[in-house]
Amino acid sequence: MGVTCVSQMPVAEGKSVQQTVELLTRKLEMLGAEKQGTFCVDCETYHTAASTLGGQGQSGKLMYVMHNSEHPLSCFALFENGPCLIADTNFDVLMVKLKGFFQSAKASKIETRGTRYQYCDFLVKVGTVTMGPSARGISVEVEYGPCVVASDCWNLLLEFLQSFLGSHTPGAPAVFGNRHDMVYGPADTMVQYMELFNKIRKQQQLPVAGIR
Amino acid sequence: MSGVRAVRISIESACEKQVQEVGLDGTETYLQPLSMSQNLARLAQRIDFSQGSGSDDDDAPADGDAHDWAGTGAGPGAEQDEDEGLVKFQPSLWPWDSVRNNLRNSLTEMCVLYDVLSIVRDKKFMTLDPVSQDALPPKQTLQLISKKKSLAGAAQILLKGAERLTKSVTENQENKLQRDFNSELLRLRQHWKLRKVGDKILGDLSYRSAGSLFPHHGTFEVIKNTDVDLDKKIPEDYCPLDVQIPSDLEGSAYIKVSIQKQSPDIGDLGTVNLFKRPLLKSKPGSPHWQTKLEAAQNVLLCKEIFAQLSREAVQIKSQIPHIVVKNQILSQPFPNLQLSISLCHSSNDKKSQKSTTEKQSPEDHLYVLEHNLHLLIREFHKQTLSSIMMPHPASLPFGHKRMRLSGPQAFDKNEISSIQSTEGLLEKIIKQAKHIFLRSRAAATIDSLASRIEDPQIQAHWSNISDVYESSVKVLITSQGYEQICKSIQLQLNIGVEQIRVVHRDGRVVTLSHQEQELQDFLLSQMSQHQVHAVQQLAKVMGWQVLSFSNHVGLGPIESIGNASAITVASPSGDYAISVRNGPESGSKIMVQFPRNQCKDLPKSDVLQDSKWNHLRGPFKEVEWNKMEGRNFVYKMELLMSALSPCLL
Repeated sequence: MGVTCVSQMPVAEGKSVQQTVELLTRKLEMLGAEKQGTFCVDCETYHTAASTLGGQGQSGKLMYVMHNSEHPLSCFALFENGPCLIADTNFDVLMVKLKGFFQSAKASKIETRGTRYQYCDFLVKVGTVTMGPSARGISVEVEYGPCVVASDCWNLLLEFLQSFLGSHTPGAPAVFGNRHDMVYGPADTMVQYMELFNKIRKQQQLPVAGIR
Repeated sequence: MSGVRAVRISIESACEKQVQEVGLDGTETYLQPLSMSQNLARLAQRIDFSQGSGSDDDDAPADGDAHDWAGTGAGPGAEQDEDEGLVKFQPSLWPWDSVRNNLRNSLTEMCVLYDVLSIVRDKKFMTLDPVSQDALPPKQTLQLISKKKSLAGAAQILLKGAERLTKSVTENQENKLQRDFNSELLRLRQHWKLRKVGDKILGDLSYRSAGSLFPHHGTFEVIKNTDVDLDKKIPEDYCPLDVQIPSDLEGSAYIKVSIQKQSPDIGDLGTVNLFKRPLLKSKPGSPHWQTKLEAAQNVLLCKEIFAQLSREAVQIKSQIPHIVVKNQILSQPFPNLQLSISLCHSSNDKKSQKSTTEKQSPEDHLYVLEHNLHLLIREFHKQTLSSIMMPHPASLPFGHKRMRLSGPQAFDKNEISSIQSTEGLLEKIIKQAKHIFLRSRAAATIDSLASRIEDPQIQAHWSNISDVYESSVKVLITSQGYEQICKSIQLQLNIGVEQIRVVHRDGRVVTLSHQEQELQDFLLSQMSQHQVHAVQQLAKVMGWQVLSFSNHVGLGPIESIGNASAITVASPSGDYAISVRNGPESGSKIMVQFPRNQCKDLPKSDVLQDSKWNHLRGPFKEVEWNKMEGRNFVYKMELLMSALSPCLL
């Protein structure tokens, strides 16, 4: 488990999501990265049931239940800006039992699927973010295995990202900032994915607002 | 007077009165009998006052013959007369004088004693001090007698107790037969699991409680041994309790692991190596139940190991499939090498005993692996046992604890696969066998090289501590007599399962395969390099100058093993140069370059006209190295160098 950076790759102009992903993977393969199966990260949104809400005007907090194929036996439950719970996969069954408190938002499932590439110490995952049947964007995750302190290897990561993302290289993820010299954990990756999914969801809504 | 006729003399009995004197006329004057008082005085005179009163009793019979009355009655009577005598007859009556004197003496003594005692009582001028005295002889006899008496009493008490004990022992003996079965059963229960089913007592031999998953029930039955005639003498090893063991667990068994170079004929498989071990001569009579049960349990464990191994042998896919034939598992860890693991089970019946008489082949057991197999199965048992360790979360499936934590601790794929990869018994044992074989082969290779080649010498230092999968040896290549200056080649050989990693002194790593030829070639090339290194070191010591040095020469004949190495050194004055080329196969070739002016048959050159050019070195001449004196290469080289160096003296 190393330090991971999750970022969004904008769709190239005049091309579909699929084509942009292919372009990226071809670049990676040219670099010499090795294909190692597929990966999948999914996220489901729950909101607290109305019956449990106390006063009026208090909007229910959103809870995200996520899975990552990199951690096949774990289930992550996160609140926005809140704590992150790492649990067994049995947690999903528990959520069904907690229907009275947490209700699953309709058609809120968002996931990213794609190919997993190994390039020396770097693990690159390029995935297509889908919400329901439609593809919404492209996620790029790069993990540097040998290091667990984010600030120590960010520059290295950045350089590597630049080598194949070019001008679309992202800035340092927010999770790096608030944990200075702290050990990077799997939960931090999930927080980045949650933020990415939220961003993509809002992007979806923005064009609609623009039309109005 | 002669005519006087004999006179008749009549003899009369003496009268009561004593005759005092007989007159000439024959008249006798009689002594007047003593009056009472006179008699008393006479008697009193005879009293010896010096004797103590304590001895009166003893003296009495010796003193008076006919005066018994005086012994008893003299005391008071004498005192009365004494008073009279003192008062009345003091001057006249002499007979009482001695009595008086004695009394007076005693009075004086009494007075002195009184004075002494009074002085002693004051404790001013005189004290009494006890004086240790030897026991008196009459007292010793007394002590002896008393001791004898008390000893006799003690002996009597002891005798009584002994009698009682023998009585109880004989009683015990009678009850023994009845009670022994129960006590033996109690002892059995302390070591083995027993349960009562119906009217039978059944025991459990299996390792199930220790984590074994072997399906054999391993039940034995406890029976009472009644076929002994109580009237006859009971044999010493008689035990009222006996156990009945399932027939397939009888006898003795062991797992045999061996490595063979050549694979035997396939037709012999499974039947050979069956009953190699001579059976221990069984004592007459049945063995004790404890030994019986232990043997049966061992058979069960061996069977379990073999079953586990053969199951894995069938399941595991390997390049050369493992063969399971009857009671033998064959595997090929290396080409032309066969690892055989066999279960040898011999029962005590006559049929198997006959087969033990077969000629025995030399034992090729790998006892270490056999022992390790037992260890591995125990570990396997422990694993199954520890996986269901309590307490355990109710919502989770049974499994390894790390596996259970992998979800909440978000293990990634690599970590999870590292937990899950559990090697089987067979894989582990094959790996160990490979390592053992590789180690012995490396040792044999090094030893044979060391004994075959004298110059340079090879030393191997095996490390005492090793892993089951890895051990290491340090190989030093030196020249005899020059150990201090020729230390260039030090190799660390790490012998693993599949390959040997060689670490040079400078950190270079070479990986060799399991083939012994590779190790041998490598060592040969190292030895050849060592000679050239030694020349370099020697040149430093001798003050020669190294002109060129190469470990791998690109010129000259091609060696089949490694490369030749070469060095050229010049003498301190620069007149001479020695060039050495040493190859692992071609051997060493030594050339000496002389100054031009020493060469007579040098053709006149048109270019080098000036005489100063004569100081240049001329052509090379080969040294007949075989004819050089010296016990080894470096020594010869030293002689050559010193021969070519100018004498500094």
